[in-house]
Amino acid sequence: MATVLRLLPLPAWDFNDSDALGVGMFSKGHILGTDYNGVDQLSAIIHGTRISMAVAIVSVLFAMLIGGALGILAAYARGFIDAVITMYFNVTLSIPTLILVLAMVAIFASPDPFNPGYTIPRILVLIIAITFVAIPILGRLVRATAMSWAGREFILVAESIGVKRRQILWQHILPNVLPAMLSISFLSAGVVIVVEGGLSILGAGATPGSSWGSLLARNRSDIALTPHTTFIPVVAISLTVMALNYFGDYTRTLIDSRESRI
Amino acid sequence: MAGTGKAHLRNSPAPILRVEDLVIQYKTKGQLPVQAVSGVSLEVHSGETLAIIGESGCGKSTLGKGILQLIETQSGSVVFDGVDITKLSKEDLRQTRPNIQMIFQDSISALDPHMTVSSIVEQPLKVWNRGNAEERKTKVNDLLRSVGLDPEVVGDRKPSEFSGGQCQRISIARALTLTPKVLICDEPVSSLDVSIQAQILNILQEMKNRYGLSLVFISHDLAVVRAISTRIVVMYLGKICEIADPDTLCETPRHHYTHALVSSVPVPDPTIKNRRAILQGEPPSPTNPPSGCRFRTRCPAATDLCSTEEPQLRESSPGNFVACHHPRS
Amino acid sequence: MSDLISISDLVVDFDTKRGTLHAVRRVSLNIAAGESVGIVGESGSGKTVFSRATMGLLRGKRVHRTGKIMFEGTDLRLLNNEQIREYWGTKIAMVFQDPMTALNPVRRIGSQMSESLMKRLGMSKEDAKKRSIELLSQVRLPEPELALQKYPHQLSGGMRQRVMIAMSIACNPKLLFADEPTTALDVTVQAQVLELLADLRKDMGMSMVIVTHDLGVVAGYTDRIAVMYGGEIVELATTTELFANVKMPYTEALMNAIPRIDRKRGSSLAAIEGMPPDPTTTHTGCAFAARCPYAQQQCRDQHPELVDAGNGHLYRCFFPIGGK
Repeated sequence: MATVLRLLPLPAWDFNDSDALGVGMFSKGHILGTDYNGVDQLSAIIHGTRISMAVAIVSVLFAMLIGGALGILAAYARGFIDAVITMYFNVTLSIPTLILVLAMVAIFASPDPFNPGYTIPRILVLIIAITFVAIPILGRLVRATAMSWAGREFILVAESIGVKRRQILWQHILPNVLPAMLSISFLSAGVVIVVEGGLSILGAGATPGSSWGSLLARNRSDIALTPHTTFIPVVAISLTVMALNYFGDYTRTLIDSRESRI
Repeated sequence: MAGTGKAHLRNSPAPILRVEDLVIQYKTKGQLPVQAVSGVSLEVHSGETLAIIGESGCGKSTLGKGILQLIETQSGSVVFDGVDITKLSKEDLRQTRPNIQMIFQDSISALDPHMTVSSIVEQPLKVWNRGNAEERKTKVNDLLRSVGLDPEVVGDRKPSEFSGGQCQRISIARALTLTPKVLICDEPVSSLDVSIQAQILNILQEMKNRYGLSLVFISHDLAVVRAISTRIVVMYLGKICEIADPDTLCETPRHHYTHALVSSVPVPDPTIKNRRAILQGEPPSPTNPPSGCRFRTRCPAATDLCSTEEPQLRESSPGNFVACHHPRS
Repeated sequence: MSDLISISDLVVDFDTKRGTLHAVRRVSLNIAAGESVGIVGESGSGKTVFSRATMGLLRGKRVHRTGKIMFEGTDLRLLNNEQIREYWGTKIAMVFQDPMTALNPVRRIGSQMSESLMKRLGMSKEDAKKRSIELLSQVRLPEPELALQKYPHQLSGGMRQRVMIAMSIACNPKLLFADEPTTALDVTVQAQVLELLADLRKDMGMSMVIVTHDLGVVAGYTDRIAVMYGGEIVELATTTELFANVKMPYTEALMNAIPRIDRKRGSSLAAIEGMPPDPTTTHTGCAFAARCPYAQQQCRDQHPELVDAGNGHLYRCFFPIGGK
């Protein structure tokens, strides 16, 4: 919990109400109802937002920074560097992602045998694992986009003027690839949220019980008694992913309209 | 016909650019490398407009980029101002850039879509640290005006707002920023409308006169090339067929390919019945060029000699050369 | 000679984000059976839109056509999608500019050709194959049986264009539109394709409309030429008459701007200053007035109509070259 607090500057909000157990939606004092243990669903959702968004934003951010940089470098440098980077991408991609993430969580989030009492916070491990898996995925997408830009004539023109290659990367390729990177990031964030949700159901999610997925996992078994507790997290996930997708598409159309005017 | 032979190269007056035995090849997947340019030699003299003409696949565009070393060349030399630029290090090569510039066929994609017009034209000055911001701005505005664009109107706009012809003007302005000695034009007007073509060609001519440029004009349009060049080099499948002055080349072509080319160009005059030398067959693939003279598979005058021996460039009349065992008379 | 197709007052407008785009502003043209007509113009002149709209290829909510397109007694403009499709390939066909994109890259040539034959003429697979080979020989494609097995990217540009031509004449259409048929080809191949089209026309008695920007192409292969500018026909005459007695300043300017292979070096190219008119605006006066070296005030105020100079030579100018 402390780690989560440190990650996001939002006030902790833990609202347990033992008076109202398993109350349905729109009940007095609990708009979204409570679950079997009295935990108010609305606060649970808000609480969970922090986790889900944190995982999504941080892992996509780092994956894009690293993967994007590698992708652009591979696209422009070609040759040996491209071969090495692509090989790294391909090798990482060939490992089944779910198993990789689960393995990392299992290894790193278990109590350290040499220092019992201290475990690396699950959420951190999760973020690192997802980032690691996402790097090649995003990297390949960025590489493809960057290659289409690197093949354009104005890059050749820049070389013919005598612009240094590093400058070409920064001044010409990066600014043009950036919109695509942004759009890919939005879409990826949506995917990560769903992935995190899935992992939570498997029990490998961030700090047990906090994220939307964990919520869903925990309330699954109570579906007969408090059905609303099951679909509330699902709705939350769906709406967020849809919003992110919409954003991603929107930025994509912005880019396309700019290019299609040519 | 073959591009080997340097009978046409002269030593005095010293040419500003001399290409000798240039070979450019590119790799193909799983097959042997293909030679786009197979041993081409030519020279450009100060103040002339040398045209390189040929159809698709002849290697002329590759040659242009190879001369600038924008693509790798396998062997041969490109001597500019006494220095062989193929042998230079990356940094030294970069230092030569201000002297030879290039403009490309696709004028719109030759401009960075997210830069404004002024910054595009200014870029070479910034790269080479010429002048301060004030001086640069003045120079950019002058250049834009000299190509017929109003800097107030176009300066802050992006390339996507302009037509092909206007983009080509911007490219020309940019290419002249560093006052190069040689300007290589790779099909600069091929994708433009006819009336705009004439505008751009006139601008090129004007700039050439104003800055004392030497032009290398790569094109497939023989009519355009006849109007503006001082010498024409005809290429076929990576080699040179014929080199001659425009009037001689078009009126009395010595090489059979040149003859076919000249007679194929449609003349906008219904009274002239084209005695078209229609070439048989298709151009052979560059992956497997014919032995000896590469044109022999489509040549009406081919003999056995043509398949065994590659013809060398020989002087057919003062200053004009042809690579053929049985040139037309 | 009766007219095969008679287009009257065709107007084509597009709804775009920037407003209405007036691509074709009232064009009338009659084409007789067996005649070859060239439509010459630059980009923005409306020539491509005109040919495609006539054929009915431009459809959709954003396209508005008015006028009459009388073909064999039927007004093509009034036909719906089903009905106009009956005409495509069978009575009217079009050859497009870029054969690489007009052919399906993932299907073999043989299958593409057979498909249209089987669907249109109801042929069996064997008959379609035989007919395909016949057609490919007719367009002078070497080794037609082998060609059937190939994919488009395995053929050269000239060969692809021939395949397209073969596909378009498969059902013996009465009218063939050729939209910039040689622009994407090398000049030596251009000559071959143009000769082929001319011969096919003679053998099949087809009418042909060649849409191009190249005056040289139309000079040798057309009976009549229509010059378009700013969405209208600005001059229409028989080919010999046009080149001998050009009346419209734009046509003259076009002729002077083109470099010619048969003119000596150093002959200057008379550029036409300025740019073609923006099709989203409606202008008063003559569309060419802004760029015309002979323009006078009347040209800017009044829109000139087509005038007949006798012998079918129409021009749209108040002050034609050579007087009225």
